[in-house]
Amino acid sequence: MEYKVEAHRIMSISLGKIYNSRVQRGGIKLHKNLLVSLVLRSARQVYLSDYYGGVCLNAQHVEAKEWELMDGDQEKLIPASEESLPSTTACDQTEAAEVPEAPQPEETDSSLAVEGPEDPCEAVEGPEDTSSTEPQAEQESSSSVDSTCDVSVPSPVVSEPQCEAKQATVSSLDCETDANLAMSAEGNSHQPPKAHSCSNRKRSAEKKASHGSPVKRTKVTSSNADEEEAEEMDTSNVSNLITIFGSSFSGLLSKDNSEPEAETDESDSGSGQICCDQMLKNLNPWNTAIVAF
Amino acid sequence: MELPLHCKLFLDVHLIPDSADVISAVEFSQSGEFLATGDKGGRVVIFQREPQGEYNVYSTFQSHEPEFDYLKSLEIEEKINKIRWLPQLNSAHFLLTTNDKTIKLWKVSERDKRPEGYNLKDEEGRMKDISKITSLQVPVLRPMDLLVEASLRRVFANAHAYHINSISINSDCETYLSADDLRINLWNLDITDRSFNIVDLKPENMEELSEVITVAEFHPHHCHLMAFSSSTGTTRLCDMRSRALCDQHAKLFEEAVDPANRSFFSEIISSVSDVKFSHSGRYLLTRDYLSAKVWDLNMENKPIETYQVHDYLRSKLCTLYESDCIFDKFECAWNGTDSVIMTGAYNNFFRMFDRASRRDVTLEASREVCKRRAVLRPRRVCVGRKKRESDVSVDSLDFRKKILHTAWHPTDNIIAIAASNNLYIFQDRWGMPTNVRGVFVLSFFFLFCLFC
Repeated sequence: MEYKVEAHRIMSISLGKIYNSRVQRGGIKLHKNLLVSLVLRSARQVYLSDYYGGVCLNAQHVEAKEWELMDGDQEKLIPASEESLPSTTACDQTEAAEVPEAPQPEETDSSLAVEGPEDPCEAVEGPEDTSSTEPQAEQESSSSVDSTCDVSVPSPVVSEPQCEAKQATVSSLDCETDANLAMSAEGNSHQPPKAHSCSNRKRSAEKKASHGSPVKRTKVTSSNADEEEAEEMDTSNVSNLITIFGSSFSGLLSKDNSEPEAETDESDSGSGQICCDQMLKNLNPWNTAIVAF
Repeated sequence: MELPLHCKLFLDVHLIPDSADVISAVEFSQSGEFLATGDKGGRVVIFQREPQGEYNVYSTFQSHEPEFDYLKSLEIEEKINKIRWLPQLNSAHFLLTTNDKTIKLWKVSERDKRPEGYNLKDEEGRMKDISKITSLQVPVLRPMDLLVEASLRRVFANAHAYHINSISINSDCETYLSADDLRINLWNLDITDRSFNIVDLKPENMEELSEVITVAEFHPHHCHLMAFSSSTGTTRLCDMRSRALCDQHAKLFEEAVDPANRSFFSEIISSVSDVKFSHSGRYLLTRDYLSAKVWDLNMENKPIETYQVHDYLRSKLCTLYESDCIFDKFECAWNGTDSVIMTGAYNNFFRMFDRASRRDVTLEASREVCKRRAVLRPRRVCVGRKKRESDVSVDSLDFRKKILHTAWHPTDNIIAIAASNNLYIFQDRWGMPTNVRGVFVLSFFFLFCLFC
């Protein structure tokens, strides 16, 4: 999908800018980095938005309401042409990375769009594949869902405290999160649920039955290609990248004593990034998009 | 192209243009007699208006030097971010210049007399042998060639943790403000070791940062009012009488964004890059990436006028993001009567909008089209097919040639345009304010071109 290619490209460009800002003369420019991080967050949401589109939609109608507000924000960030649901899949990925299941590339169309020969791309795709298919853990506590949901919420103010508070439960999130996110997304996008990645998940199985097939068709088509890529994904590469990424962030933090917060902010102004950072510390290889880059 | 002699001399001195010569600040003095420019190399060049109407170099000095912050392991650029003139009180001229971290007050004064006839020193300044002095004389002042000296009077340092983006002198002529990304400080021009913080946007947790300050300015008449704009597209008016810390705004000028135009880059293009009060003090001019808006201070929810500067770029935002052009901060300016606003664009184009007639013109500042005393032809950017030969296609715009800094003479129709390392000064052909003629016919001719 073109928007995914575009979103991926924008993400890599944004991360490149953030990285280059560390070495440019005059120090890190807070304004520019803040804007770049906002773009990065928007692009990431779009990139992952279709990942769990339609996943467990029916199961999460209840939770949808609490996310309406935030989703409103998310919607704003999604380009007009973007039809996918908010990329709550980011959360899913986080979880997924922690619990690598047999790769099921149903949701892989989000990773499909990427082609870059770079490891980051592959790293992104890999975890996405694994995460998207988590069939279990749907029954995880909703609190954990909140935290991951917050990850992808554009408003840093809202998401951060929740994210930080609940990161402990992140690892347990899974489809449940996806489901909630997807549901909320659905509520906002007013579109028929797309791929259902939870078709094989217990909880929403019955609810998604009605939505499953059309979505599934689309997913399957794209998933085949993704599958190959997913399989090629080397998890060791992912962990290497995560380590590198983690160290680069700590480097970022320590580089500028006077503006450590600024730097931290630059790298963590997105809620997803913050969770990512923390998760990195926990060796939680989620957020493939950011980690990969 | 024929250049006046002094231009040629200047060219000889700065033969090879490099990035250090890129002009980063342009400001007319309050009377309009002087024009100051600052460049990336930390130099300030001051021009003075001659009786014939031309601006010639008056003084040049090195304002800021590159510094190194050892604690943070950061190099501090010497680039001049802003220059502001103080109102003239005596024969000397004072101006504030700032780079990312330090503000300096400079005194520019003339000396055309020199004392001669010292008792203890001879003509060359060497000490005389006291035993050989037989009589006393009173030194007298004798005329000498005009010497313009710039001397550093105050250094206002170590008050900003983030990069300074604005300075603005209060109408009380005693205080001024300096703004960085997160804080605004109030200074007294005579006191360098203390400043008061009047706005602090730094959140408790930096991870919650959502906006930064982009520009701040004092109201031209009310010494208690100041405005500052943010990266989220809002402009706040603060009243310093209400409380010491002006985090709570008195007025918030924000226009709702059209959801149909949402994109990845909506936040970037809504970030305000310049704020200018009108001379009357009634209106506020804000510039964001694609448009310029005029606000009435009495109405907060929407601007009274919106001018699209280069809306054809809306479809190219991704490309502009890649090239960093989307982060360019364009300045804007009012004319003396607040009837025309001006701002820069790409391809060395700059635009003027007449507020009354709603007519606008696009002009180009480049060596190829600017010949001395030639009348500038209006330019046009076309999105599709060229209708005229002189039209410029959107795809052929040169985004490296950008006019970020422009200034308008406080009373006359003279404008200064900074295009990279070149300064162009244009004057209205008839030398009259356009609104007097009742018709917006703007024809500027190339008055003086200086290659810095």
